Amino acid sequence: MEHLLEHFILHPIIPLEVGSIDLSINLAVISMWVSSLVAFFLVLAASRNVELVPRSKLLNFVEAIVEFAYSNFIEENIGKEEGKKWFPFLFSLFMFIWFANVIGLIPGFYTATSSVFVTATLAFLIVFPTVHLYGIKKHGLIKYLKSFVPHGVPVAIAPFLFVIEIISAFAKPFSLTVRLFANMFAGHLVLLTFIALILEFKSFIIAPMPILGGILVMGLEILFTAIQAYIFTTLSSMYIADAMHGGH
Amino acid sequence: MTALAVGLIMAFASTATGLAIGWLASKSVEGTARQPEAGGMIRTTMIIAIAFIEAIALYALVTAILLWTKI
Repeated sequence: MEHLLEHFILHPIIPLEVGSIDLSINLAVISMWVSSLVAFFLVLAASRNVELVPRSKLLNFVEAIVEFAYSNFIEENIGKEEGKKWFPFLFSLFMFIWFANVIGLIPGFYTATSSVFVTATLAFLIVFPTVHLYGIKKHGLIKYLKSFVPHGVPVAIAPFLFVIEIISAFAKPFSLTVRLFANMFAGHLVLLTFIALILEFKSFIIAPMPILGGILVMGLEILFTAIQAYIFTTLSSMYIADAMHGGH
Repeated sequence: MTALAVGLIMAFASTATGLAIGWLASKSVEGTARQPEAGGMIRTTMIIAIAFIEAIALYALVTAILLWTKI
């Protein structure tokens, strides 16, 4: 069964190296391009003719997503007034992750989020700096660092708590990374295993069962793609709200 | 031996996660039944908490895969 994991190995289509950094164009990169373009043009096409009472199906669909995202990420976590300027960031994050997850279910494409490098980039290089730079900009460096220690803690314990809180600040993007990566990786591996069972047994009597299982898992996967994108974005918005209100 | 270790890792991890998610879901259903108007908030919190619990099983899965492919 070792060969199953070979499907997750990326082969460069157009080799490209800058210095010692590998910037080759592979299937994951193309999938990410396609998914971001699809998300971009979907929202763009819907926003061409915005009506008070939407008549087109596309506008209805996109409006439902936007409303869902707005009420869940902004109103419930960050707050109505201050949260408005965060909506473009969180919505594009949500749409990108969702479409990158979904596109992996189409045969021929690659799930970019099942590669740990993609999710680590999203968490450590996009969400993590955004949250903490915003906190520093809003409160000032000293005051922001102070806000890591909860109020009313004895002075003797404060340094230890500070260290623990700093570690937890780095653990948050790590857990975001592993959650999204492992969910997508495991889900697609399960799908692949069901399909591999057909090839393994090569019998018409056994084949219907893996096919049935594959269909069920496929339905579950479609649900999970949306849930994982939702969770990633909700947690990001919670971290932003934490940085905004000065910690705990 | 590695196969046994991988199997045991996944067995323990999925048992614990299954129990935890089952308990969480039963409690949140109870909460919704007691106070249906808070249902939306309870559901949101439940999904986020499930994500946290699920992450533990996924750490185990990653460990198992790393062990299986001998890193």
